[in-house]
This record gives sequence, C-alpha cells and structure tokens, in this order.
Amino acid sequence: MSKTLIDLRPVYVVGIGLHRYQRLSETTYVDLGLTAVRAALADAKIQWSEVEAAYTGTAFIGMAASRPMLRHLGATGIPMAQVENASASGSTAFRQACLEVASGISDVALAVGVDKPGPIAGAPGKTNIRDLVGARVLPFTHFALLANDYMNRNHVTAEQIALVAVKNNRNGARNPYAQRQKQVTLEEVMAGPAISGALTRLQCCPVGEGAAAVIVASEDAIARLEIDRNRAVRAVASVTRTERVYREAKNFDAELTGETVAQAYREASMTARDLDVLELHDAFTIEELLYLEAMGLCAPGEGARMIESGAADIGGQCAVSASGGLLAMGHPIGPTGVGQIAELTRQLRGEAGDRQQPNARVGLAHMVGVGAVCVVHILRKD
Amino acid sequence: MAESVPAQPALYSGSENPPSLNGGRCHRCGYVFFPPQQYGCESCGAPPEELEAVTLPGRGKLHSFATVHLHQGKGIEAPFTVGVILLDDGPAIRSILTNRTGQGLKAGVRMSATIVSQGSDEQGREVMELRFEKAAR
Ligand SMILES: [Zn+2]
Repeated sequence: MSKTLIDLRPVYVVGIGLHRYQRLSETTYVDLGLTAVRAALADAKIQWSEVEAAYTGTAFIGMAASRPMLRHLGATGIPMAQVENASASGSTAFRQACLEVASGISDVALAVGVDKPGPIAGAPGKTNIRDLVGARVLPFTHFALLANDYMNRNHVTAEQIALVAVKNNRNGARNPYAQRQKQVTLEEVMAGPAISGALTRLQCCPVGEGAAAVIVASEDAIARLEIDRNRAVRAVASVTRTERVYREAKNFDAELTGETVAQAYREASMTARDLDVLELHDAFTIEELLYLEAMGLCAPGEGARMIESGAADIGGQCAVSASGGLLAMGHPIGPTGVGQIAELTRQLRGEAGDRQQPNARVGLAHMVGVGAVCVVHILRKD
Repeated sequence: MAESVPAQPALYSGSENPPSLNGGRCHRCGYVFFPPQQYGCESCGAPPEELEAVTLPGRGKLHSFATVHLHQGKGIEAPFTVGVILLDDGPAIRSILTNRTGQGLKAGVRMSATIVSQGSDEQGREVMELRFEKAAR
C-alpha cells in the first residue's frame, strides 16, 4: 500500500540558512555551501554532530560534491549523496531529507543546494533524437512561444506579462539574499534588450552562484535537542511527478504543474484558497501566470489580471514569490528549490521582516525541471 | 552548379511539394510522433518493433510563434522567427519560419513546409533546410 508524507511521522523544518545568490565569482562552492549550512545550524541552534544524513542539490559543480564541502563541519561519517534533477535539484534534495526523517531512518537531516555556473552537457541532448530547431530554441524561446499563445488566447498584452517582473523585483529589492535587489519600472522591463518573442532580459531569471540549506527534524529530535517548537514548520505534502504525453499543442508545463499541485492539495487536504504564500518556478514571467492558473489561484486566463489586481502582492490574497522569485532572487539551480523552502519557513514563522505576508500559515513551493519533472511541497505552521 | 545537401536528412525529405516530414507511428496505440525515434513508444511503452516510420505531409496551422534574438544554434543569424505548427496529421512541431520577423503572421494561419538554402558548408556545398511558410492557399 503506497503512502504519502502525511501518513508517515511528522517532519519539520527547524533551521534555514543562505549564501546570497550572486554573479559568478572566485568564491568556492565549499565557501558558499558552508555559509548556508552553518547559518541553518545556528538558526536551529543545533550542532553538526546531530545531523544524521545530508543531501546536496547540485547540477553544475560535478561529481561527489557533498563530502569535500561538508567534511569541514567535522567528518562525522554520516551518509551523504548528491541530488540532480535539473532546476528541481534542490527541491528534490529537500524531498529526500523529508522522506529520510518521515520514514524514521533519521531524526535530523540536511538538504543543501549549492551551485556555480559552468559548462554542462545535459543528458536529454545525448539521446541522439534530433529535432528541427536544436539549440536555436533555448528555454526562453520555449516560454516565449507559450507567451505568444497566452496573449492570443486571453487577449493579454506583453506589458501585462511584464508586470510579473515588476512585482518580483519589488520583492527582491527587500531580500538581502537576492541576486537582483533593485526595483524596476514597467518601462525599464519593456525597454529590453529583447531576448525572444515578448520576453525581455528582465523577464528572464539570472543564473548565478549561491547556496541554501534547510534542516529537517522529527518530533523526537525537536524534544531531545530542545529545538524551539514555535519556530518549527511542518512539511505536510511532498509530491513529484514527471511529464506524460499531452496530445496536440497542449501546454505540457502547465498540465504537469496542475497534476502535481492537485496531488499535493489532496495529500494535505487543502485547496488553493488555503495558500498564504507561494514560491513558484518563475524563471520567465509568463510561467508565473500559467502556473497561478494551473494551481487554481485564479480562473484560467485570469493570471495577468490577478497580478494587476495586486492579489499576488505581499499583503494580497496570496504573496507570490515574496522572495523575489527566480526572476529577482535568482536561479543558481542547485540552491533554488532549497531557498524557496527557506523563504516559506521565514514567512510562516513571521520572520520575513519588510516582505512579511501578514498571518501567513500555509505555503507552497513549486519547481519544474527540464526533462521534465515537477516538485511541489506544502508547508504549514501549526 | 554547387552540390546541395539537406541539413537533417533523417527528419525530412525534399522530394515532394510541400516537403514531408519523417515521423513515427505506434502500431499498438496509434500514437503519431515527430521527430522519429526507435527506442519505444512514449505513449504506451510498445517496443521498437511496434514503431513504424510514417510520412507526415508538411502542412498544418500555426499555433504560436516568437522572434528569437538570442540562441546557441549553428548556421543562422538572429533575429529569426520560430513557430509551433500543429500538423494536420497530429503532432505539434517546432520549425524556423521563412518569415524572419514574424510580421503579418497570426495564430491559426495555414502553413506549409518548404526547403530553403541556408548558405554553404565547409566543402562549399549548399545546405538545404526545412522551414515553414504561410501556405499559398
Ligand atoms: Zn504506443
């Protein structure tokens, strides 16, 4: 009989830490990762020796990244593994840490995401299945095509799509860990440079370096280690799915997100109306509109109008990408999904400072990876 | 006259007008796909023996398009326009369009394939590529 996360023993986020997301620098991945993990340990007020398993989300660094980094916290002999799932690497590392604790195998587990931009050869390109366009169509063109279709179907303008970047940069400007910390106007977003279709540079996320760490623990560990129960945030759903065959010109990104989020709602006995904060995969502005609709936060075709109405602002119906999202906080790949969990935890604890969503109790994190996977977590402050 | 070669002979044949695409079809479930592959059916899981090569006439309608200013592909300079074309025989495919800027295009218009010269390769041979253009009728 298969089980869901909520059927297993409760698992809580008890510590979070980040290294700022930034442009490629001389900083080593060891420095980036240790900064985030030490911050997470300090946040949980526990020692490294209490951590019983570690999962490192990374896509660019190379083989066997965990131990060369984590041994500098003291080589305690614990199991470590790297998790690669394209853009969803960090989300998948967090899922593994949750399952590790929920299953009872460990009481305390670490998920850390760390990356530095570098050359990489993705496996999908090695299948020897060639299409007509190849590298002439990069991810931003894939989403520019979806933006064009979206504008046609819903009578939405390029400016309305660009408003997503204005909102997320406004949020990112209040986030000390964000790669882009500058408010921008709609005119600045629209001014270009043009990248593909309706998408301009500021509507595409920056891919830099950084790190994020999250420590999860069982109720036993919280009691035994005297972790502050009032700052613990429970993970109530962890769902991941892969793409199926969607006929005709169906938008498979939105279809996959819709399926995955629906399963997460079912497992957590929640609906879109329960969400106070949401960190979603806004690598490109159009994605936010598509996913808001796929997640049921607004009616189909109403995503752009939801952004315009302010319902997705901090203080609105649901604060969407309060961290700045991938568009402003940045998308260093390995850290991104872990950083989302850190932001939601901060929000649900009421510790998000001037980007705090009032009375936030339930949050959802969503990442998509090429290939194509979708990972969704729901967190709840009891 | 310079010799000419198709850039991707596995994907299309230029002997008809409009040129046709080399697709695949699953005997077990009827799923029609492009580009062709011989690994197994992604819809029902049927093994390679169940997959047959089919010819997909290069006709369909434009679903969406975007003018590309940045890319990492070879043999073409930006800007150019890429379109999603819903083929009459089923699958939605992506192709470069002959219309570089997308001016005058809109979703729903009939499109047909055509073979165009895309410059010459190192051996001085003319490289022919498949594109889509607005159908004459
Ligand atoms: Zn089949």
